[in-house]
Amino acid sequence: MEETNKQVPVTVLTGFLGAGKTTLLNRILTEQHGKKYAVIVNEFGEQGIDNDLVVDADEEVFEMNNGCICCTVRGDLIRILSGLMKRADKLDAIIVETTGLADPAPVAQTFFVDQDVADRTKLDAIVTVADAVHLSTQLTDHHEAEEQIAFADVVLLNKIDLVDESGLEVVKERIKKINPFAKIINTTKCGVSLNEILNLDAFSLKRVLDVEPDFLTSDHDHEHDDDVTSLSFVSDTPLDMEKFQDWFSKLLQTKGQDILRTKGILDFTGESDRYVFQGVHMLMDASPMGKWPEGKERSSRLVFIGRNLESMNLKEGFENCKSA
Amino acid sequence: MKADTSQFPELDKTKFEQRGTEFKFGIPVTNAVTVGNSIAVGFGDGTVRIFTSGESSEPIKAHKGIVLCMSKDGDNILTGGDDGRFLNISLDGKISEIGSFGTRWVDHVTANNGSLVCSSGNIVYLWSPNHKEPKLFEHNSTIGGIAFDAKGRKLAVSRYGGVTLWKKDYSNKWNSSELNWKGSHNKVIFSPDGKYLVTSMQENQLHFWRLKDKIDSAMSGYGAKIKSFAFVDDSKYLATSGAKEAVCWPFDGDGPVGREPICLPYVGNKLVTFVEPFPNENAILTGLSDGSVFLSEIEKASNTIIIRSFTEFEVSAIAVTKDCSHLLIGDMGGNILWTSIWDEKKK
Repeated sequence: MEETNKQVPVTVLTGFLGAGKTTLLNRILTEQHGKKYAVIVNEFGEQGIDNDLVVDADEEVFEMNNGCICCTVRGDLIRILSGLMKRADKLDAIIVETTGLADPAPVAQTFFVDQDVADRTKLDAIVTVADAVHLSTQLTDHHEAEEQIAFADVVLLNKIDLVDESGLEVVKERIKKINPFAKIINTTKCGVSLNEILNLDAFSLKRVLDVEPDFLTSDHDHEHDDDVTSLSFVSDTPLDMEKFQDWFSKLLQTKGQDILRTKGILDFTGESDRYVFQGVHMLMDASPMGKWPEGKERSSRLVFIGRNLESMNLKEGFENCKSA
Repeated sequence: MKADTSQFPELDKTKFEQRGTEFKFGIPVTNAVTVGNSIAVGFGDGTVRIFTSGESSEPIKAHKGIVLCMSKDGDNILTGGDDGRFLNISLDGKISEIGSFGTRWVDHVTANNGSLVCSSGNIVYLWSPNHKEPKLFEHNSTIGGIAFDAKGRKLAVSRYGGVTLWKKDYSNKWNSSELNWKGSHNKVIFSPDGKYLVTSMQENQLHFWRLKDKIDSAMSGYGAKIKSFAFVDDSKYLATSGAKEAVCWPFDGDGPVGREPICLPYVGNKLVTFVEPFPNENAILTGLSDGSVFLSEIEKASNTIIIRSFTEFEVSAIAVTKDCSHLLIGDMGGNILWTSIWDEKKK
């Protein structure tokens, strides 16, 4: 029974046209011998895809009428994932290749919103393939490029053989500024060990516990208001649960469109468990995750990735949640 | 004489199971369609089997992966699959391909009076009788469902943002009008009397339009997506899945606006996943997420009887033979029960 109830992991490949998504896809398909994959593609590139189970779809972003202003889902994924779950043979994984200009938020939100999809599949990770030569320009010119970096669990920085070392550092800094918890992997021709991009379980709450507090970035250059940036906060003073819920729910309700991703581990006064959450825009997955490890300091950590974060008084809001 | 089965739970089968035939294929059942006194069943490995008098045909290898949808055209079975093919299958297992769309799935199929229709992506393809080439109806999004009215002069196509209603005029030209309602619409059906059009939505609700005046309204309050719904007893009730009760909305008189549905409860408190009207009666067959199936009179819930006990797999298909003598139940675990509805010994 357990076998049949297992959720099939879904890996999402994003990245601009020409960055190397299809190269990576074909590497996964040819190197993972004996595994059964379904591949969902949204644009036929010039390169063929080496798999006998390729589903052609159109990226269809649907607004949900659930009172949540930024709640969009990918209708094509709901239809195809629900269909694939009726297959007689169990799939080892599903890979979704998005178009170059896709916004990853509706993809991620689909796994929060659609119960059938959430019951039978799970979002494993968003892997963004970026072109080391062109990423900086793309980030300046296209907000989709920023979103693809902001939502990434892994950024595959491809074609590094075509940039010099200082150029590479500049691009990496730019990625880190947008998304400090994405793992950056340098590659040429997408040469990466597949266990660095598959079966990461990056959207599970357990993985939020790995969020390290050492990326506190305090020195912010002047940025354009609509640049995607990140802010993180740490507190050794326990938080008041009621105050936090009040502040955080209001924040997401009013600023959810600008807040792309959040993650946090929270230490509440009077609670022996760690509270962990992760969210995409207004949607949130949260749960107590067992006791704090003995002998280790308890502390709350909170990370935001989004636009206009400076205007949201996040530091002040967070400070006000501390127990008196 | 009746055996005391309470000490032998493995014998705790309903009388319908005891006198019926059970099959365990281990392959998810995706669809079932009645063709005369046979019932054709589609599976999650692309095969179709035809059940007649309690016996299964050999598997017919129709599609490569999944039989996504089924309908019928007279005595023939129509199927659409994830191999992008739209097929016509005869009861003796002969397959002919009507259309093929490559890596795009054939999501929906239907037919009326020899006109064969399927949808793939955002296009509906209609083959008129004796026409080799289909007529194409393009829409603004992938199609969630298609349905003919009883006469075959109207074709409803649900999509993101509402329903496109195609009407054939007397020079056989198709003209469209739009019924708009925000959100993504999936399955669509006409009421048998042709007065209403109903869709299920991505949100846990249904939407209906009264066609004479285009009045529309939502039917909500469900805990899950409504995957199965059907009109019962001509058009008196709309029976729906998606809750822990079979929710039956009144569609007689002025329709459901301002009226309460009848909710039929079942033991076990499980989600209703499939509803099938019992032909010519004000009654429904209800399948639950644990595999159990009940027969209920809508206006007399106390007359509910259990047809099949639980299998732990969600009921995904129920069909009744044309002569109303037998029924077939299929679930996502690949279990099938074929049984007689009436106790043949008593007949």
